[in-house]
Amino acid sequence: MEESEREQSTRPNPESYEDAVERLEQIIDRLDSGQAGLRETLELCREGRDLVAYCAAELDEVGESLKELRLDELAAKLDQGRLDTD
Amino acid sequence: MGQPLAQKRVTLPGPFPVGRYAKTLRDELRKRARVQLIGEVTGLRRTPKQAYFELRDSEGAVPCTIWADELDRLGLPEGALRDGAEFVAAGGPDYFIGSQASSPAFSFRVTQLRPAGEGDLLARLQALRKQLRSEGLFELQGRLARPLLPKTIGVVTAETGAARRDLVAGLERRGWRGTLIWGFAPVQDRHAAPAIAAAIQGLAARPEVDAIVVTRGGGSLADLWAFCDETLCRTVAMLRVPVISAVGHERDSTLIDDVAAVACSTPTHAADAAVPLDVDAARDSLGRCAATLRRAAGGAVAARTPHLVSLARGPGRALQRERVGLNQRTREIRAASERGIAERLGFQRRVATVVLERALRRAVGPDLEQRREALRRAAVALRAHEPERTLERGYALVEASDGEPLTSAAEARAAERISLRFADGRVRARTEHPTES
Repeated sequence: MEESEREQSTRPNPESYEDAVERLEQIIDRLDSGQAGLRETLELCREGRDLVAYCAAELDEVGESLKELRLDELAAKLDQGRLDTD
Repeated sequence: MGQPLAQKRVTLPGPFPVGRYAKTLRDELRKRARVQLIGEVTGLRRTPKQAYFELRDSEGAVPCTIWADELDRLGLPEGALRDGAEFVAAGGPDYFIGSQASSPAFSFRVTQLRPAGEGDLLARLQALRKQLRSEGLFELQGRLARPLLPKTIGVVTAETGAARRDLVAGLERRGWRGTLIWGFAPVQDRHAAPAIAAAIQGLAARPEVDAIVVTRGGGSLADLWAFCDETLCRTVAMLRVPVISAVGHERDSTLIDDVAAVACSTPTHAADAAVPLDVDAARDSLGRCAATLRRAAGGAVAARTPHLVSLARGPGRALQRERVGLNQRTREIRAASERGIAERLGFQRRVATVVLERALRRAVGPDLEQRREALRRAAVALRAHEPERTLERGYALVEASDGEPLTSAAEARAAERISLRFADGRVRARTEHPTES
């Protein structure tokens, strides 16, 4: 239980892309400083890799193809859904 | 029943005949100062005698009338006076006291009428701007966090128009290909402002919308006037979703620009503001981050590898040192041991010598002379048996070449080379034609 909690606490869970990028920059700065010990370096690298994967997934979400919707059609669908449930 | 009524009688002047009062009211109103009003024309209708319309803005309206002949004398362009047009009307309040055929009515009697000019609109815009600023409405949107990488953007614009195309092109140039929700609305008539406000509210109500862009192309201030609508601007100011306005061109400044989170000069700039992140550049940057992390992880291990290897080799080296030391000690012990054995052997030999000497002394001690005599006799007897004594008597001893005595004919035949030993010397001989005897 303690092990899993600790694992969760070290796993990055950014609120947003900007949070992830900010933390990633902190990690890179720390690594570039050369002051991190081996254990810290490896932990930072592991956290950094997770953040990179998160950011890549976020970028992929807006990197495929432009999707265009119409507000009036969405509103009509919503109204239809309400009628169906009534 | 009459008494209670009499008790409730109030003490105000009158009662006056209503017709006379109506005329007095009309006369009083006509005495009021003549002024100019500015507002949007709505509900325009014409009769042969008069034209009726309302002049209104977001705070209220005044019913206006103008005599048809006066309207004609103004020489307004055809269609200029229409619903939705901004007009300046000069005149004063009037009151129609009614007639047998028509009801009484208040109106603003218009004597001069002209389309609102840029200056009129600017003055009105300034007043609105001052009001909204004083209420702090210009700061609310600016405090909202704008996402670096929105996934869904709502857009309010005309369905047909360059603004729509320019915005999409700008987003594509950013490398952004997320979801756009179009809230199409008229952008230039008296229905525009409510429709725009409704579209913005509809988009803001959708939880997936991260930001809203409101845009249209350039035009005169009158063309853009919908975007100065007080109700629309108050609506935008109170939203919790950031609104990016791009109305008109750089020189145009509408009220929505003041209340929006960001005001842009063109739809292309609005695309940049809506997606602050250059997606393609971010992807490249992320790749570099990943490479840095790989290098850091690999480098951290590589940099420490010699140290780790030395640490790993430490026990091996210690063992080797111990092994060498152990071997050395083993050799020393073995050498010491061999020395010990030799010493012990020497010691034992010394002990044995002593013991023998002592035994000899014991043996030769008391009857030494007797033993010495016995020994001499034994030597004489022994000499009598020596081969030399026999040789002296003329015998010869047959020996092999190595000196071993040959005591049979068979041995002599087998030896071939033999030596005959006489008392005075040796003769070498070879056996020939050996025969059995």
